[in-house]
Amino acid sequence: MMSMPIVSPAALRRTLQAFERIVGPDHVYADVEGRHGYTDAFSPFDDPAAQEPLAAVAPASAEEVQAIVRIAAEQGIALWPISRGKNFGYGGASPRIPGIVMLDLVRMNRIIEVDPDMGYAILEPGVGFDDLYHYLIDHRIPLWTSAPAHTWGSVVGNALERGVGYTPYGEHAAQVCGLEVVLPTGELVRTGMGAMPGSKAWPLFKYGFGPSWDGMFMQSNFGIVTKMGLWLMPEPEATLNLSMSLPRVEDLPAAIDALRPLKVSGVVQANPSFGNAIRTLATRNIRSSYWDGKGVMPQDALDAAAAKAGIGQWNFSVRLFGYEKVNEFNAGLVRDAFAKAVKVDFKESRWHRGEDLRHSGSPVPSLSVLRIVDWLGGPGGHLTFSPISPFRGDEAWKQYQTTRALYERHGFDYYGGFTAGERYLNHITMIVFNRDDAEMTARARTLFKALIATAAANGWGEYRTHIQWYDQVAQTYSFNKGALGRMNQAVKDALDPKGILAPGKMGIWPRRYRENG
Amino acid sequence: MAILLMLAAAAAQVPPDGHALFNERCGGCHLQGGFGTMAIARSHSGEPALLAERHPAADLVRAVVRNGFRSMPPIRRAELDDATLGRIASYLAEGGK
Repeated sequence: MMSMPIVSPAALRRTLQAFERIVGPDHVYADVEGRHGYTDAFSPFDDPAAQEPLAAVAPASAEEVQAIVRIAAEQGIALWPISRGKNFGYGGASPRIPGIVMLDLVRMNRIIEVDPDMGYAILEPGVGFDDLYHYLIDHRIPLWTSAPAHTWGSVVGNALERGVGYTPYGEHAAQVCGLEVVLPTGELVRTGMGAMPGSKAWPLFKYGFGPSWDGMFMQSNFGIVTKMGLWLMPEPEATLNLSMSLPRVEDLPAAIDALRPLKVSGVVQANPSFGNAIRTLATRNIRSSYWDGKGVMPQDALDAAAAKAGIGQWNFSVRLFGYEKVNEFNAGLVRDAFAKAVKVDFKESRWHRGEDLRHSGSPVPSLSVLRIVDWLGGPGGHLTFSPISPFRGDEAWKQYQTTRALYERHGFDYYGGFTAGERYLNHITMIVFNRDDAEMTARARTLFKALIATAAANGWGEYRTHIQWYDQVAQTYSFNKGALGRMNQAVKDALDPKGILAPGKMGIWPRRYRENG
Repeated sequence: MAILLMLAAAAAQVPPDGHALFNERCGGCHLQGGFGTMAIARSHSGEPALLAERHPAADLVRAVVRNGFRSMPPIRRAELDDATLGRIASYLAEGGK
């Protein structure tokens, strides 16, 4: 743990007064109620308010962000940016440490441009998935969004955190093309072609001239993204969905190995996700409606609940997007591949352009998945543990067994699923607990530490983690005595000499925090 | 025709009413089948579970929205300003009318 620079009341007062002159007094929040919104609503800690910021400021433009950053640098007051604050399971709207001022970008919610022919949007960080969805519908633009499980969050924030969705554009970070960024000195830069005045290819060509920097501003604390170019998928002529419920837990490796060549070759372009039975059951009702016991839900109770609900031990869909004839041809390849691997048939459904989008695979706005946090009755909390696995059945099976055993040894149901990337699996699991049960939340924290250590011992790294475990996960990326961490620090010190932007984000601490420590 | 156009312009400037605001900002969880509606149904068995039918006091709505309650996260002023929240709270206090 680093030592935190102390902010004097006089410096804070001066800073907030300056912020009020920039954004107006209605958009600076320093009272108890105003600060309280910047907590982790699903926190595994007994007193999430201990992380509360000193205040918050909500700018409406990149120019206001620049002015705020310059003041913060002058006064030595750290800022913690959030886009919409819906990073649930990873810390929500909370900062990593108290003693900072939140930079709340939710008012910067302009959809600056959408090009239907080129298939891109230029967005500010406050634009939600719902906002973009409705904009495209209202303006009859035949492009689709890609969204994660719930659609409350920021399109920009999610892509910067490398979130995933379930269309062929589901690897969101890969769709980013061009950023506008306020550096920690207040300077405004544009990456790629955006650096050339008059260029018309900023959201079209990702690389520009010389080093390419979009990736540097993802999962980092090197700058504040104020605009993002994002490629959007043209509305397909049709989609064809093949869904399958695997009756046995041990069917997973064969199904994964059946899918791999279809993903690597590009036959399947979306990201099928193999979710366990609890993942499906929890979206429908709380656990006591299926089994009213204590401790881990036994396998026989889970089998009975799954059978009654008509679901399998693993449930997934392979959805094909594109021209109807191509989809039908590719569906044959998918059927053939799985017929050799498992003894279950797909259930099939089809959507054609013009029909109800709810059956299309387009991520229509929904918050229904949030109800999983009440699996144990609530008030719900959850921690997301998400290691990457190679796209191989045997490796995924080992990771699943290891992870589930740890969950159950600590008294928690294993809730998880493997989402298919092109050559990897993203194993997203959730520790669901009741926040008003101190013993249970303590156990959740102990489990989380054990998961990180055990995964690292097996060579499995997390792709993203909760704010309070940034340091532990960063330390597992320790090749050559932590060379990557040292490089991150060097970049941090060069770009953020005053050490004011998101201290501790992803385990990257500014020099003044390291030296105080 | 001119009068009709003027009326249309005036209508376009009227801020959305409490009902429309509630549906837009709270409907993701508090309409039929939503997470919030299901949670209320569990904790208040036998009572209406739809917020628009519960007549909650406006101050209670404001407090829950700003502080969060059970599994509902707090909603910040930056994303829902006090005036808009006030219109939603009044709409709910008046029984969804």
